[in-house]
Amino acid sequence: MWSSERHLPLRAAGLLCALACAPVQAQEAAQGFAVERFYASAPGAGYFVMDALAHSGTFAGTMGITFGYSHDALQIRDEGAAAPLSVVSDRTFVDLGFAGTYDRLRVYFNFEMPLAAQGQSGQLAGFSYTAPDVDLSSHPDLIADARLGADVRLFGAPDGSARAGLGAQLFFPNGERADYMSDDTFRAILRALLAGDLDRFSYAAQLGWHARTLDEPRVPGNPQGHELLFGVAAGARASLGPKTHVVIGPELFGETALSSFFRGRTTGVECLLGARLETPVDEERVLRIKAALGGGLYARFGAPEWRALLGLELSGSVR
Amino acid sequence: MLAHRFSLACLCLLLSCSVARAQVAPPAPHEDEAFDLMNLMSDHGLHDLVRERWNAYGQLTYISSAKLPFRAPYTNAGGTPNSLRPDAEHSFTLSITLYFGLHLWPGAEIYFVPEAVGQTQLSNLKGLGGSIQNFELQKGGSATPMLYRARTFLRQTFDLGGEREERTSDPMQLAAITTKRRIVLTAGSFTILDVFDRNSVTWDPRQTFFNMAFMTHLAWDFPADARGYTFGGTAELYWDAWTLRVGRAAQPRYPNQLETEFRLWKFYGDQLEIEHNHKLFGLPGALRLLGFRNRVLSGRFDQAIAAFESDPEKNATTCTGFNYGSENANAPDLCWARKPNVKLGIGIALEQWVAPGIGVFLRAMFADGRTEVMAYNSADRSLSLGVVARGELWQRPLDIAGIGFASAWISGAHARYLALGGIDGFIGDGRLTQGAEMVLDVFYSLSFWRAFWLSADYQLISNPAYNSDRGPVHILSGRFHVEF
Repeated sequence: MWSSERHLPLRAAGLLCALACAPVQAQEAAQGFAVERFYASAPGAGYFVMDALAHSGTFAGTMGITFGYSHDALQIRDEGAAAPLSVVSDRTFVDLGFAGTYDRLRVYFNFEMPLAAQGQSGQLAGFSYTAPDVDLSSHPDLIADARLGADVRLFGAPDGSARAGLGAQLFFPNGERADYMSDDTFRAILRALLAGDLDRFSYAAQLGWHARTLDEPRVPGNPQGHELLFGVAAGARASLGPKTHVVIGPELFGETALSSFFRGRTTGVECLLGARLETPVDEERVLRIKAALGGGLYARFGAPEWRALLGLELSGSVR
Repeated sequence: MLAHRFSLACLCLLLSCSVARAQVAPPAPHEDEAFDLMNLMSDHGLHDLVRERWNAYGQLTYISSAKLPFRAPYTNAGGTPNSLRPDAEHSFTLSITLYFGLHLWPGAEIYFVPEAVGQTQLSNLKGLGGSIQNFELQKGGSATPMLYRARTFLRQTFDLGGEREERTSDPMQLAAITTKRRIVLTAGSFTILDVFDRNSVTWDPRQTFFNMAFMTHLAWDFPADARGYTFGGTAELYWDAWTLRVGRAAQPRYPNQLETEFRLWKFYGDQLEIEHNHKLFGLPGALRLLGFRNRVLSGRFDQAIAAFESDPEKNATTCTGFNYGSENANAPDLCWARKPNVKLGIGIALEQWVAPGIGVFLRAMFADGRTEVMAYNSADRSLSLGVVARGELWQRPLDIAGIGFASAWISGAHARYLALGGIDGFIGDGRLTQGAEMVLDVFYSLSFWRAFWLSADYQLISNPAYNSDRGPVHILSGRFHVEF
């Protein structure tokens, strides 16, 4: 039987060793969140993120499908580490949206369906990150946070040089944080929108507030509460025939956490170079094909290293 | 590599077309007099109900069931986990479904159906061979509704001539003028029941029978994931009164799971159906012959028994692969026999309207019963029949009443396996005195405001899990259903 006095130095040494080793061994688990910060505009809104605010007339509807791929959407960096950890390295999704417009008002909803999400698990900065493992086989019917939105043009004509409006979006939580597709809480976005057409040129801009209750400043890469959204877009229009035209131009957008305004780790800025072709299918319907390629100008806080998007939209009067 | 993965994923999505177990039932056509968004828009001159470019429908259904205590001399004998609990239990389902359809080009339509389901089950959905008291119940699931993509499919119709036929605007059907001779191709994600065994008498269980035994053949182990949906393709040839349907769809990777096996050349469920529509004394009816052939990773009952008898260490407690969690160390387990197997079955279905608003139906199926349930129910042979009356007779045209009887059996090998204490995906009491599982289901659905239905239902289930030692079970249910 061991004598407690006799082995006191040994026990003390063991306790010290355990305390010294604890920070290394007991890594806190980082939970996932809705990593995608590509908040697509409404079907029929023109740009990928901005809103052209050009809807008008009587009842009309649009169905849009957008395929997207992003590379390194979530990279955790630590000064002490040799290389960043790509927790979400490859993410493929399809977004299906439906919009109805009447005069100045648009109401829409979107279903984002992740097709694949993979990454690299590991430990960094005192946290243990588990990469998502999503593919069509293991998650055949996945839908991420569903979105309901409304936009209204308050000032300006649909084809005028300056239009202004407001937009609101509500995200319904769905899915798992572990898959990096949901905060598991409701979220909302309010946007002030500006757009216009000047001869062959178009422009759009937005300034928004992302109401986000998930606030985890201790966990590198995770949301830190409410965010400011910003973005500008410009395009040059070329006619390819009667009622057929193409618009080519860049879109620059990003976000920053309001709690640490425009600081390095809580700001992401992304730029897309895109084109959209608009052509009539028949007397009633219009087809839009959109494509864009770009990446993070400041690839932090959810802005990926690079991103590719392809969208198809079919619009028509409801009647 | 990444581009390849991206393009492959996009292709898979585009080619997906699905249907499922619990929510497998296709929605009923909307009656002309019913209230819905499309009728409302049409009434205001905002929608064309003859040649539709698009449509949108929806439904919400809440079902609550109470199981009364029943006699059970033993429950979960020997450490098995699959008995129906003998005490009182409550179960519910809440489902919300939206149906979107869009015309793309001549003959082509695309459909998207998101759905959210929340539920609690009786005894974790264990202990009934097929007479599940609520057809909406899914394998897995939670009380908090979860949104998922139920169906996304592309449908192409090629008219081949013949008499013109008007197709009405309904959920997952755009109104159009078509012909009685045509080919219809469907691809994507859907439920097999969207295409096969479409019965006009018991059409949508959300309006008719509560028990799963009346949704389709209980012995038809049709390909479906844990929610009842699958990926695949079907082809239908309509030729006047005759219809031929064939289809291949994906199976779950492991029995009764959500994970889907996409190697359709290796593991699949094939269906073949021949339908003849007729008129008897001027009233419509149909006769269908349906066959299926599954090739799946499943366990054979006789091989599981043989493995256990040759080496008693090969039981559920020593299994390291996929298994159902039995703690019975003295019983065989399918885990030790799981390998690629073929399952075959053939069935017949008859429906006949015998008076205006009164229809009768009968379904019977025989499956080989050598292997475990892969996707639907633990039944190897099944019979169901009944009568449904619509309220036209008593001046309430949207009311529905019905009474039905269903019975299911298991094969000899299946029974021996259960008697030795084995379990499959849903049943296994640890012991067995074999009997046919039977259910009597009576319901009345009261319609109000042209879009709402309130229903009451009583079910009597005897020999639950094919075990005459237990039961009978009495279940009382209520349902609120709205279509819009």
